[in-house]
Amino acid sequence: MRNRLKVLRAERDWSQGDLAERLEVSRQSVNAIETGKYDPSLPLAFRIADLFGLPIEEIFLKD
Amino acid sequence: MAMNPAQRRYVGRMIPVSIAYVAAIFLASSLVPNGSPATPLTVAVALVPGLAVVGFIWAMGSYLFELKDEYVRLLEVRKALIATALTLGVCATWGILEIYTNVPRLAIFWVFPIWCVGLAIGGLVNRLTLGAGGGCP
Repeated sequence: MRNRLKVLRAERDWSQGDLAERLEVSRQSVNAIETGKYDPSLPLAFRIADLFGLPIEEIFLKD
Repeated sequence: MAMNPAQRRYVGRMIPVSIAYVAAIFLASSLVPNGSPATPLTVAVALVPGLAVVGFIWAMGSYLFELKDEYVRLLEVRKALIATALTLGVCATWGILEIYTNVPRLAIFWVFPIWCVGLAIGGLVNRLTLGAGGGCP
């Protein structure tokens, strides 16, 4: 699954560490999601969507 | 890298359990000579290091349950699965060798250390395949 996390983060001038802190996960989790090595669970995907104020499908895209 | 609360609790549990394990081994080695008959006293003394090993397993299991970060938990579970596969593979293969040949007997004591080596190999596999070893110190 692809995602727009890196773009959305860059638009807000957040580092991976900043985003990780806001989501209460590790920086390596954010990196793994951004690089497509890990697809987050539904609860974490909702937390990400809430943080960016976007629906999940505007952040996570089908391949 | 700063430790998360689950990692801090894990280290806080592993340190006293490790001290207890080393002390119990010294105690058992000094009180019970190798090959002693199994009396209630020798069994009781020899069981203490085993209980410390159970403490290691409890600390590791608690760490997995308390981890809030789902990705780090995935890394740890992968490590445990790889360690379990390696341990089963080594022990089953060696056991068959013992049945058909006169290779040296592998003491059951080594099962847990082999599993711990498997954890380290699992961390390496994680690093090679996912770019991150895991959160367990």
